[in-house]
Amino acid sequence: MSQYFQEYITVGAFAAVGVLLVLAILGVASVIRPSNPTPAKKLTYECGVDPVGSGWSQTYVRYYIFGLLFVIFDVEAVFIFPWAIHAEALGIGGVIAIVLFMLTLVEGLVYAIKKGVLAWE
Amino acid sequence: MTFAQVLTPPSVGWIAIAPEIVLGVGAALILLFDVQYKPKRTHLGLATAAIVATAFAFAIVQYDRVQTLSQATADQAADFVATAFPFDAMIVLDANAVFGRFAMLLVTGLGLAAGWRLFERLGARAAEGLALMLLSATGFMFMASSTHLMMVFLGLEVGSIALYVLAGITRERTESDEAAIKYFLLGSVASAVFIYGVALTYAGSGSMNLLEIQGVLARNIFTRPAVLLIGIALMVVGMGFKVSAAPFHSWAPDVYQGAPGGIVGYMAAAAKIGGFAALIRILFTAFPDFISTWGPLVAGIAALSMLLGSTVALVQDDIRRMLGYSGVAHAGFILTGVVAGGAGTGEVWFYLGVYTVQLVGAFGVVAAVTGAATSGAGIDAFRGLSKRAPFLAATFTVLLLGMAGLPLTSGFVAKFGVFTEAWQAGYEWLVIVAVLASVIAFFFYLRVIVAMYMEEPVDEAVAPPGISVRASLALASLITIVIGIVPGPLLSLAGEASPL
Repeated sequence: MSQYFQEYITVGAFAAVGVLLVLAILGVASVIRPSNPTPAKKLTYECGVDPVGSGWSQTYVRYYIFGLLFVIFDVEAVFIFPWAIHAEALGIGGVIAIVLFMLTLVEGLVYAIKKGVLAWE
Repeated sequence: MTFAQVLTPPSVGWIAIAPEIVLGVGAALILLFDVQYKPKRTHLGLATAAIVATAFAFAIVQYDRVQTLSQATADQAADFVATAFPFDAMIVLDANAVFGRFAMLLVTGLGLAAGWRLFERLGARAAEGLALMLLSATGFMFMASSTHLMMVFLGLEVGSIALYVLAGITRERTESDEAAIKYFLLGSVASAVFIYGVALTYAGSGSMNLLEIQGVLARNIFTRPAVLLIGIALMVVGMGFKVSAAPFHSWAPDVYQGAPGGIVGYMAAAAKIGGFAALIRILFTAFPDFISTWGPLVAGIAALSMLLGSTVALVQDDIRRMLGYSGVAHAGFILTGVVAGGAGTGEVWFYLGVYTVQLVGAFGVVAAVTGAATSGAGIDAFRGLSKRAPFLAATFTVLLLGMAGLPLTSGFVAKFGVFTEAWQAGYEWLVIVAVLASVIAFFFYLRVIVAMYMEEPVDEAVAPPGISVRASLALASLITIVIGIVPGPLLSLAGEASPL
């Protein structure tokens, strides 16, 4: 048990040294360096171009439906590959199971298409 | 040995999951039909009712099958295992599962009829609402019929996520959105707590199958069961959230107040049935030998729920919040039966069955009086209801008296049953607390009845409820009275419903 905690003490020591190191470097630097702020220095750095507008803005959430539909196919693939490798050994029961599984997902896709969520107007 | 040899296809028992298949496939078909043919909403509603009725018929077939199984002889053992524990014992076909389906499908049917007005108001979203209702019923029925903690969790998620969406289905209203977000956030925390409990139980016992856990615990003596005990406690907490037991109840009044009126009764009832079904099975099947450990924990939650629910409900001016806090108290009453262990299964199921019917009926009345697609229901809207809508006032009175536990209603038999079990299990103090809480609870139920019958009516006219709403309310009241006078048949049916 003591060995177990000893290893955590090592981890703790490393964490403490890390924190102290950062504090020491930044602290020394703030004491030594000259302080001369200008408006240009305080600007947000964005590839050298002056930033325009507020940081808070609206984005299109339309993409998330495509993201969700992608997950359907992704999950499908995750299950189909292991099945495909052993399709012969699993026999007819495996085929029925995977077809039922795919039909479940296809149903969701058909519903989404019919509902018109894939139309990019 | 290759992977394929290990990976044998599971034993299939279609009859054991037939009601769930009907509901799940039915929900998918309703969505697809709606999007392709745009049928009338009335037809969609009737189709949903037919789906629920078909599932109920399959549940009756299952009941018959369970009766046959219970008389299986020793040389039929292999047959018994294949039928009772299909899908590699992920699913169990026993009286407990079947009774859970009966309760769940009855509540779904009643909730559908009582919420008919809401589905008519939803317009193009009616099919989504109906499908979500069927899917949540599927999930909670799986919770009642699984002996595997992973399957219980899957059922919990399927049911709960559908309910979160239902809470926010009238998304034009901010209150509905607020209720949905609150329910979602707190429900997710509860699910996380539950699954952490499952993980610790697995770490402590080496299995997620409840029957195997029971076997492991019976064969071994644990010198340091801390991990296992924390696991049990976290699972109890997770289910406590779902059934809105104090101190995990904070979501219930807000959600009941904000969610669309027509569906809220079903939401409350379904979550209670699913949560208690899983709690009963986990505690009674896997951990019967640990009852001295989890008994006091459950008793404490029960006492706190009863006292807090009853006293806070006294000061609510919104009927829906009042019913929410009364639901907290009722969760406590049901937990009073749970502390008795396996002996109390029948009483717990009886209470759950009669209370959820009253709950759906009571919220049906609230929706009929204050609107099926709105939130909030101030007590002012109920003043003098007996003169404006005598039928609604009468059914509400019956249902409230049933919840209060007046003799000659089903609520009295239910309360008497769980109190007796707790007393025999040695929890005399809990029964005293429970009786005290029942007396306090009488006040706020009576307050509504007094407002309906003895106060001057407000001018608002109540739109006459539709035939389906009237039928569901009449049925709920009738069940409350008939079971109150002749409780025998349901008591014996619930008495059989102990888990395998």
